[in-house]
Amino acid sequence: MITFTINGQEVQGQDGWTILEVARWHGIDIPTLCHYEAVEPYGACRLCVVEVDDGKRSRVVISCMYPIRSGIQVKTDSPRVANVRRWIVQLLLDESPGAPKIQELAKAFRVTPSRFKKEGVEFACHLCGLCIRACQEVVGVQALTFGNRGVLKEVTAPYHQRSTDCIRCGTCLYVCPTGAMEQLFPQVSAP
Amino acid sequence: MKTESKIGIFLCECGGKISNRIDLPQVSELLRYEPWEHLGTYPYPCLAPGLEAMRQEVQAKGLNRILVGGCSSRVMKKKFTKALAPVGVEKHQVEMINLKDHVAAVHEATPQELARKAVALIAGGMASLRLLEPYEPVSLPFEGPALILGGGVSGFAAARELARHGLESAVFSKALAPERVLEELHWTFPGCRIFCADLADFLREVFTSPLVKIVPDQPIEYIIGGVGDYHVGLRQPDNTVTEVNGAAIIVALDREFGPADIDYIGGGERVCDLLDLEAQLVAGDIKPGKVVFWVNSPEHGQAAQQLAAVAAWRDSLLMVRENPQVKPMVVYPANITLPLSGADLVEARAHDIGLMSYAPEVHPVVQSGYLSFVSPGDNLEHEVEWDTLVVPGAPGDPAAKAQELLRWLPIYQENGGRLQKSHIKFWPDQVPDESLFFTGSSGGLCDLNEVLQQGKKAARGVLHIREKALQGKLVSPVVVHVDKDLCQGCGLCTEICPCGGIEHVKPGSGPVPREVDSHLCSGGGTCAATCPYEAVKILNNTAQQLEARIKAMMARMQENESLGFVCGWGGLASAEQAAVKGVTYPSGIYLVHVNCLGSLDPFILSMAFLNGVKGIMLAGCTPKHSCHYHYGVDHCWYRVNAMKKLLSLAGLERRRISIGYVEVNEPESFVRMAESHLETLDKLPPLPQDDKTRAKLWAIHATMHRPRVRWVLGTSLRRPAEKEFPGSQFNAVDADETMIEVLKEEFLAARVLKALTDQTLNPPGIARALEEPVKNIAPLLTDMAHEGRISLKGWEGGYPVYALGKK
Repeated sequence: MITFTINGQEVQGQDGWTILEVARWHGIDIPTLCHYEAVEPYGACRLCVVEVDDGKRSRVVISCMYPIRSGIQVKTDSPRVANVRRWIVQLLLDESPGAPKIQELAKAFRVTPSRFKKEGVEFACHLCGLCIRACQEVVGVQALTFGNRGVLKEVTAPYHQRSTDCIRCGTCLYVCPTGAMEQLFPQVSAP
Repeated sequence: MKTESKIGIFLCECGGKISNRIDLPQVSELLRYEPWEHLGTYPYPCLAPGLEAMRQEVQAKGLNRILVGGCSSRVMKKKFTKALAPVGVEKHQVEMINLKDHVAAVHEATPQELARKAVALIAGGMASLRLLEPYEPVSLPFEGPALILGGGVSGFAAARELARHGLESAVFSKALAPERVLEELHWTFPGCRIFCADLADFLREVFTSPLVKIVPDQPIEYIIGGVGDYHVGLRQPDNTVTEVNGAAIIVALDREFGPADIDYIGGGERVCDLLDLEAQLVAGDIKPGKVVFWVNSPEHGQAAQQLAAVAAWRDSLLMVRENPQVKPMVVYPANITLPLSGADLVEARAHDIGLMSYAPEVHPVVQSGYLSFVSPGDNLEHEVEWDTLVVPGAPGDPAAKAQELLRWLPIYQENGGRLQKSHIKFWPDQVPDESLFFTGSSGGLCDLNEVLQQGKKAARGVLHIREKALQGKLVSPVVVHVDKDLCQGCGLCTEICPCGGIEHVKPGSGPVPREVDSHLCSGGGTCAATCPYEAVKILNNTAQQLEARIKAMMARMQENESLGFVCGWGGLASAEQAAVKGVTYPSGIYLVHVNCLGSLDPFILSMAFLNGVKGIMLAGCTPKHSCHYHYGVDHCWYRVNAMKKLLSLAGLERRRISIGYVEVNEPESFVRMAESHLETLDKLPPLPQDDKTRAKLWAIHATMHRPRVRWVLGTSLRRPAEKEFPGSQFNAVDADETMIEVLKEEFLAARVLKALTDQTLNPPGIARALEEPVKNIAPLLTDMAHEGRISLKGWEGGYPVYALGKK
């Protein structure tokens, strides 16, 4: 058993568990976007940041992938965490201004679109890859993938051709945190 | 093997998403008297701490049935089964009730009301789990050679690959020597003569290999057996049938090309098609001069045009190499992508082979010695000179051999003439390894290289199965089971099975019980729902389990509430998507998930009404377009239709049951369906509970169990576009009226049986009880007595007295 504290509350966990899992088990809420219980954590959205103090120094880490260690002190809502998280929401909002869930977050963090906001975006995808991971890990096929690189990076079917591996189960639609898959689904699902 | 069920219920709060909307403490309270071994509420059962807690409970209390009241089984079940496998819980022992998407997120009712709904769904899940019977998977042998049927070229590629890995194979081939294959190559693969030298080496290896037996092609009489043990009956020239056994089957079928229509071009011998040209090449007869390959015939489709363009290019190259005096040119339509690589284009320039595109909107015109066409580059008409004009051959139907095989294997002809293996799309872990291999150009236009690759791939598939068998891991998943005592061998299941999972029997062997090839079975369940004798069972998902589930739910539902059956694809996914999108609908509809609506036994519908449900809605995929089980939803349509007819015979409203179609990404459509259905029901009174109505509902239920009715339902498939009907029915109205006749008769018979329960009656007595004229009933009574369904107990006042049972 590994003992540590979250917001001053003493909690216990086992080797291999993450801070996020233990925090949620104890009813401590940490906001997430790209985390889904059915797939392995990936750390794309960075929204789940927490401050971890191991006695020597204090760092801001993502809780969804950070394995718990004995004696650490985790703060989920310190001013430093709030600041980092607010900036992350700012970036997410500028990347995908159309996503309802991100708009909600922006409201909660009192963030408004900045001058770097993507213009003319109808599309709400922020490339967390949850659909791609779910397709691979939950369904067991690879009907979705990332295409292109850099600013052109996008979620697409392999080789930009609607994949025959797709079984039209709708798992990607179900897990998508931004609702972008709804628009994308007709283009990437099996004919 | 039946073990006592110990159910553990794990309720999920989902970080407030469920616990804020459903009063979970009340759920636990209401479930207090249910037979569970463990009941607990957890913040997140699906996260590592939650899974650890579940494992501890399973071990401490010896739980062997797990019910998670949380979210979607489509997405989350895998994680639970994986986490619980180390403590001995199998996949089928885990049941998930989607409280989040079917209750919490989609209804606006109070947490207390939603708790009642949640309890009904959970009680249903428990009832289904209690009837679960564990089974042992069966290990399959793998003995004998691979049988390569169909005579396609890819079969040789498969045979070579198998031989290189030490597996014997028998190739049933038209050509018994490599030379014959090469000579006839252009009939199936025009333009591939350029590969002949390589192919000759290849074929020599196959024909001389000790592991490959080349057998003359004979008509196939039957194919029976299953993976690891197939028996193929071959009709010999002397009309006897010999049987060949093999462990696996590879079907290699090619498409043959036919002569093109060149009559309208004329030009005598100077104009020919690719097939003729290649026949000349075989004969070594290459005339010098300008050869123009004109890729025409847009009616065969772009894929065929592309293939023809490549064939023209390859033949050009072959001719130039043989005779430098030949000046070939390929004229192709601009709307196809010329499937040539950069290196090909360099070679074309080196050999001075012209490649010209023409604008497809303006049909090129043939003149004597010239072909004029519009160039898409400058919109001007250009002319090319020709001494020989070549047009592509016409892609014909799959080889004649196909028809014999189609009868026995799950291979179907699509509208375009293309053959396809039963294209059922499932979760990969629902189906075992691929075990029937279909290769060759009859599955889709392709050239020799591609076909050889297909053959190689099929061979690898067979080797993979053999590998698994050697390790003892070739395990048949046992999805469907046929009860040999109940089965009468009518063969209806084999007829309607879309995946080939129900095995065929030898022709003329009479009504023998069917076997299931679980390797091919997809678990669609249409067979089980259709079987007239109810002999087919989908294991872990029997109709009896569903019946128990619905009874348990009905016991907790109110009289104005309705059942909704959703198929696992369109219906379920769109219902859950509604929750993701935050669309709400009234809570009076209780969703029950079935694999496919086709697996919904007709008696489930009647049973629900007998138990007092106000109405039933069914949501499935759009027929044909997206049903994952071919015709599952069309089979279901007839069951719903029969139910409607029976309801109106019983004097109840037909609109109490309705079926709708919805796609994965259309949550709004699903919600509209549910709302409209509930609105319709709001205008209707609850199902009357008086004795007369109950007796009629009992009769409806009994009717749905009658083999004769189930047979009619099984053979009926909604065929909106079809113009032909089975038997002596000539049109849609005829077919429907036959159905009504059968239902009327059986319904009346069932009502008679109900009236005779616990009493003996004479015909006027029965007529009074049924409120029907005596003259309608008297002949039926005579028939029923004759069949032994009722018996004559004596005479009273000049009337016969009938009772239940035999004399």
